Amino acid sequence: MTALALPDKALATAVRELPDNALADNREAALAKFLERGFPTTRLEDWKYTDLTDVADISQRWLENGAPRPSAAAIDGRIAEIRSMIDVDWIVIENGAITAGIEEAASTGLGVATFSELAHVPGYDHPLADLNAALLPDGLHIRIAANTTHERPLGILIVDGADSEPGVAQARVRIELEEGSAAQFIEYHTSIGDADHYANSVVEMSLAAGATANYVRIQGRDRNHTQTHRTAVRLEASSTVRYSGFDLGGRLIRNDLDIDIAGREASALVGGLYIAGDGQHIDNHIRIDHRVGPARSTLEYRGVLGGRCRCVWNGKALVRAGADGTDAQQSNHNLLLSERAEIDAKPELEIYADEVKCSHGTTVGQLDDAALFYLRSRGLDEQDAKRALTRAFGASIVNHAPIAIAAEHLAAIVEERLSRLTDGEDA
Amino acid sequence: MLEIKDLKASTGDTPILNGLSLSVQAGEVHAIMGPNGSGKSTLAQVIAGHEDYAVTAGSVSYKGKDLLELEPEERAREGIFLGFQYPVEIPGVNNAYLLKAALNARRKHQGQDEIDAFEFLKLAKEKMVVLGMDPKFLNRGVNEGFSGGEKKRNEILQMAMLEPELAILDETDSGLDIDALKAVAEGVNALRSPERAIILVTHYQRLLDYVEPDVVHVLSGGKILRSGDKSLALELDKKGYDWVREAANA
Repeated sequence: MTALALPDKALATAVRELPDNALADNREAALAKFLERGFPTTRLEDWKYTDLTDVADISQRWLENGAPRPSAAAIDGRIAEIRSMIDVDWIVIENGAITAGIEEAASTGLGVATFSELAHVPGYDHPLADLNAALLPDGLHIRIAANTTHERPLGILIVDGADSEPGVAQARVRIELEEGSAAQFIEYHTSIGDADHYANSVVEMSLAAGATANYVRIQGRDRNHTQTHRTAVRLEASSTVRYSGFDLGGRLIRNDLDIDIAGREASALVGGLYIAGDGQHIDNHIRIDHRVGPARSTLEYRGVLGGRCRCVWNGKALVRAGADGTDAQQSNHNLLLSERAEIDAKPELEIYADEVKCSHGTTVGQLDDAALFYLRSRGLDEQDAKRALTRAFGASIVNHAPIAIAAEHLAAIVEERLSRLTDGEDA
Repeated sequence: MLEIKDLKASTGDTPILNGLSLSVQAGEVHAIMGPNGSGKSTLAQVIAGHEDYAVTAGSVSYKGKDLLELEPEERAREGIFLGFQYPVEIPGVNNAYLLKAALNARRKHQGQDEIDAFEFLKLAKEKMVVLGMDPKFLNRGVNEGFSGGEKKRNEILQMAMLEPELAILDETDSGLDIDALKAVAEGVNALRSPERAIILVTHYQRLLDYVEPDVVHVLSGGKILRSGDKSLALELDKKGYDWVREAANA
């Protein structure tokens, strides 16, 4: 029995009440595995700074209520809002159920289906992936056919809501890019409602030889909601993933991004921006496994922290023996706008190959006084000068988001969020 | 326009200005010369309102107002411009954004409407042509990756856009090649008018070949040791600063 377990019987009942489809057997297997290990605890090095007690507590209260599918009256409004802000084809996963967009996306030539239709059994060895598989009603499977290019980004909207009772929801997506294909994806996490909510999602993406994916993840959950999210990317030879992650909302957020470099000449170009204000905890763990070389990975994350908040950044590049010609660069820069903001940043390089080019750097600082005075000496008031400098700090990540339509949207929402932080409305 | 009386200022525990008095009238160009460490830059920074310098005694009045009571941005909106000796690089803050925000802050303070985007662009490009600047500098980060000369031209561009009533140029001439020096001088001369005053803080006489000052002051040890007309600058150039210090001590 681990410290963060869930009640066996209630969880088993919740699993058995899910729709009976091709996933049923796998749910039982995943349930057994989850019950063995429970939630990760802070005793594990990878979870040292992120305590899932809150998440376990929400899950337990949800189970005590009979594990109802969560609901929120305003959820349709939120979906409409996202659609109006970013004009792409959206597949909507609403409180764990795929509710819209499959036919529309399929009509554009994408291979889109549910896990149950394909009898696809998700496998991913992690307690949170097990919990996801155990409680998953169904998953979304996307295939990009070999040597095809989909310019128009596909949106995956993971939207949750809980009005009065605590809610828990699972979402799972599998994306396969076949040889020489190219596509763009926007993964948007949002939530609404006054009750506590825990969202647990898993995305698995594989890029076959020569495939290219541009990927933007945006997390704008409500400030009383929690999320654990795992993304696994596998890169075959000469494939390229350009990935940017943005975290603006949520109370407790943990993202894990695992990139497996399995083929020579593969590239993973990763950027991220997290913005946290009062009461927020945002943790990003990135792990890049250079199994072969030559290959390249770059990691650039930035954080803006205000109020009383805590952020965690852990970027690890593992270069295995024989992965010569690896080029792995990591950087993490943090801007602290408040004395009560806390960042735990840890870059890690573990190198077993001989010929590699690796670097990492982390900084934590405040706004530059000289720049602030320079702007004020030109007539900008202190607040505007602070806003301009804070926006500038995040701009390099926003401007490099690999999908233009997402970058435009991000510029607007990041600016709004940062303005509230620098104006102290959020501190 | 500017009346400084017995000004004392320090940074940390170190006194830098030790009872400096200076009077500048509209229409005048003053040159403040002096050796390194004499307090020239400190004077410029104190007038602009830098918080690192504490004024411990004396007064500064500008257009009849107590300047020391004003925030740096209020001083700028009242028409004071400081051309920095070392302009700060601010990656991610667009040059055009800064110019426009600065101009609008001043216009708003004067009760004018904000400048129209097209009008702004036209004005900025006109000024840039005069200063020999490529218009693409507008879309770069403020001073980001600019050479020394480009930074100084950029300061003059800001000054030309803002049309200050009192411009203080802190060693704007240092490290410039002759073309850049001429461009800077042209920018300064274009600003000269009966309503404006200009203070040139400089180490060398060189800039004064192109911008003729009405009054030259020699600053040393945080005080003005001597004032005169432009011939004082030439004399300094020949005899060096020790000559003034010795004369003052005698």
